[in-house]
Amino acid sequence: MNSIAKQYTQGNVNPVSREINDAMAELATPPQLGLAPTLQLPPISQPTDFLRAHTDDATNPDCKIKIAHGTTTLAFRFQGGIIVAVDSRATAGNWIASQTVNKVIRINPKLLGTMAGGAADCQYWETWLGSQCRLYELRNKERISVAAASKILSNLVYEYKGMGLSMGTMICGVTKKEGPTIFYVDSDGTRLKGDLFCVGSGQTFAYGVLDSDYKWDLTVEEALYLGKRSILAATHRDAYSGGSINLYHVSEEGWEYHGNYNVGDIFWDIKAKEHSFVNVET
Amino acid sequence: MPGLNFDNYQRNQYLASKGFSQAKATSTGTTIVGCKFQNGVVIAADTRATAGDIVADKNCEKLHRLAPRIWCAGAGTAADTEMVTQLIASNLELHSLYENRKPRVITAMTLLKQHLFKYQGHLGAYLIVAGTDPTGAHLTSVQAHGSTDVGEYLSLGSGSLAAMAVLETNWKPDMTREEAMQLCSDAILLGIWNDLGSGSNVDLCVMEIGKDANLYRNYMTPNVRIAKERSYKFARGTTAVLQTSVRDLLDVEETVIPFGQKDSDAMEIEA
Amino acid sequence: MSRTTVASEYSAEIQSTPIEHRFNPYSDNGGTVLGIAGKDFAVLAGDTRHVTGYNINSRYEPRVFDVGDNIVMTANGFAADGKALIDRFKNQIKWYKFNNGGKKLEMQSAARYIQQLLYGKRFFPYYVSTLIAGLDEEGRGAVYSYDPVGSYEREQCRAGGAAASLIMPFLDNQVNFKNQFIPGTDGKEKRPFEYLSLQEVIELVKDAFNSAAERHIHVGDGLEILIVTKDGVRTEYSPLKRD
Repeated sequence: MNSIAKQYTQGNVNPVSREINDAMAELATPPQLGLAPTLQLPPISQPTDFLRAHTDDATNPDCKIKIAHGTTTLAFRFQGGIIVAVDSRATAGNWIASQTVNKVIRINPKLLGTMAGGAADCQYWETWLGSQCRLYELRNKERISVAAASKILSNLVYEYKGMGLSMGTMICGVTKKEGPTIFYVDSDGTRLKGDLFCVGSGQTFAYGVLDSDYKWDLTVEEALYLGKRSILAATHRDAYSGGSINLYHVSEEGWEYHGNYNVGDIFWDIKAKEHSFVNVET
Repeated sequence: MPGLNFDNYQRNQYLASKGFSQAKATSTGTTIVGCKFQNGVVIAADTRATAGDIVADKNCEKLHRLAPRIWCAGAGTAADTEMVTQLIASNLELHSLYENRKPRVITAMTLLKQHLFKYQGHLGAYLIVAGTDPTGAHLTSVQAHGSTDVGEYLSLGSGSLAAMAVLETNWKPDMTREEAMQLCSDAILLGIWNDLGSGSNVDLCVMEIGKDANLYRNYMTPNVRIAKERSYKFARGTTAVLQTSVRDLLDVEETVIPFGQKDSDAMEIEA
Repeated sequence: MSRTTVASEYSAEIQSTPIEHRFNPYSDNGGTVLGIAGKDFAVLAGDTRHVTGYNINSRYEPRVFDVGDNIVMTANGFAADGKALIDRFKNQIKWYKFNNGGKKLEMQSAARYIQQLLYGKRFFPYYVSTLIAGLDEEGRGAVYSYDPVGSYEREQCRAGGAAASLIMPFLDNQVNFKNQFIPGTDGKEKRPFEYLSLQEVIELVKDAFNSAAERHIHVGDGLEILIVTKDGVRTEYSPLKRD
């Protein structure tokens, strides 16, 4: 009898040491059962409805918690590798929360992830993806493929499908066996390999410019400019995109940062140089 | 059709149901009080007007004149208190001209309640009506739906509880003019400090029997803004000049030709 | 069945969404906070008014806290959530020290850890805008700001809470010199960024809060500024308008 009781009761009933044990348990890394860490849920029957009522500013403009949204991001493959270009604006409802957001997450020296949708969702899960990729490296003694990395993320978001995660991301990278590769992953669980993607509220504007000038044989310089120009067009027409442009080039050697361009400044330079945006008066 | 126009009512309800936010009227947050004394009546109000959480006007006027010796303090939708007050003031004037009698507080109050009742509370006007007339000094309140109260001391608005706390503790019958002014301003001050919808200054109006009404605009100003720590004067040229366009001024000359004066004899037709 | 007359108040009819009776664990306790990073210091300031609706619950309820390790923190919005978050973080710093021989928690580690705390409640968020301020590993001032579910960024300055939309544009102009040009350059050259002195920053903070108190009903009563330098955390209090 005693032995059975022991089996089901905690050995230490001292409240002080129990508190310490509880705290230690909270600190300790949870066992890798599923992919995801534990996220707390409200103690009600329909947590998703609750979340939508309080955080979805599209269906309820008066909702109290406004989660940062709105973006234009793009990535495309070409002869010289991959170009990644993003804007830097974060909006919460009609409020511009920030003009200096970093929407490219450097997963490792050869992998980049872009952010569109919920800022926290992207930031959190892509840094989390970074650690998963590092663990993969340590376990397998080789760098993870872009396909595998993107699948870790897409599997993860699929576990949370319908719960209200919002992310549209491009996992861009280069590996020996794959070459330069782009995977589009979104919170619906979609995962697509492709040559060219634009994601976010300003995607249509970016596609408009990108599609018309894109060709495979672009030089690196031309490609960087096209990426920058496409985001510029999007920031010009989409109120939820803006701030500055962050540019990246991914090649065999890994990614390389090509600077930050304030759209307020380069707009006039590009307009003057290209004789474009003629509808805008100086 | 005279009166209010409800043409867009259904449309607006429809839009609201589709999630379009409705225009928000500047309103409500207010403390107003009134109190009778030996020889008259005093009303007082704070001067804050809010639009949601934002202070729209730091020194608005909530004391309105209905007749020279009948004044009212308004809480509720700012536009409604203003317009209702003006309309009733006109009708009161016409009525007193027609009857050839001085306007009475009871008349003002009746006109107000009949008007407000007609609109079933859609006019968000909550008023304290007070004044002196040939029948003496009176103090009444009118609610948006048309109900009225008569009292020795009254308070209305979001700060009415704070103000009433003061009125209930310090009010006594047959106060002097000075005591009544003190009581009313103290009541408003409590609203100013403790109710977020009320703030800034105290306006006060004393109506004494047989005398002209006295409006004390900004009777107390306990919330004067302190001086800024820094100067925010920009050096000339800090703002870029994007465009300059200079226009020539057109000189418009007007000449008045005198007519029918001294040498107007030339114009005479009848010789 | 007896029915009382339905009140036809203006506000009740305009209601765009039906009044819902469901689990609503959130409320708004007002207040505003503001953080500015300097060259070798950082400040985090907040007013001390605690409200619900049109009522003042307290005229002095500290909003900004010294959480140890030369880091100051605030979580403004729903006070209970803010308190829970800060208490949880303080506790974790304590355990971090127990387990690591009293090691100092660096600013960037603290920043990341707070993201984990906030995102841990992604589906039941803390209704707060969080700010922390301190010095980075090189001794420069640092301010980190968060959204309610943990997206974060290091910034030069950030306002949060009720009057954020009133203060932030002022800060953009006066701290980062946005929309300012060098006189005489005809708008060709922007006024370059330069660090403000602690004295200047404190003056800016006071002006920002005095102005916010003028125009926002949830801001007022008192201003508490926590100043972080290499010598530790110092507090300055000054009164604000109480109406």
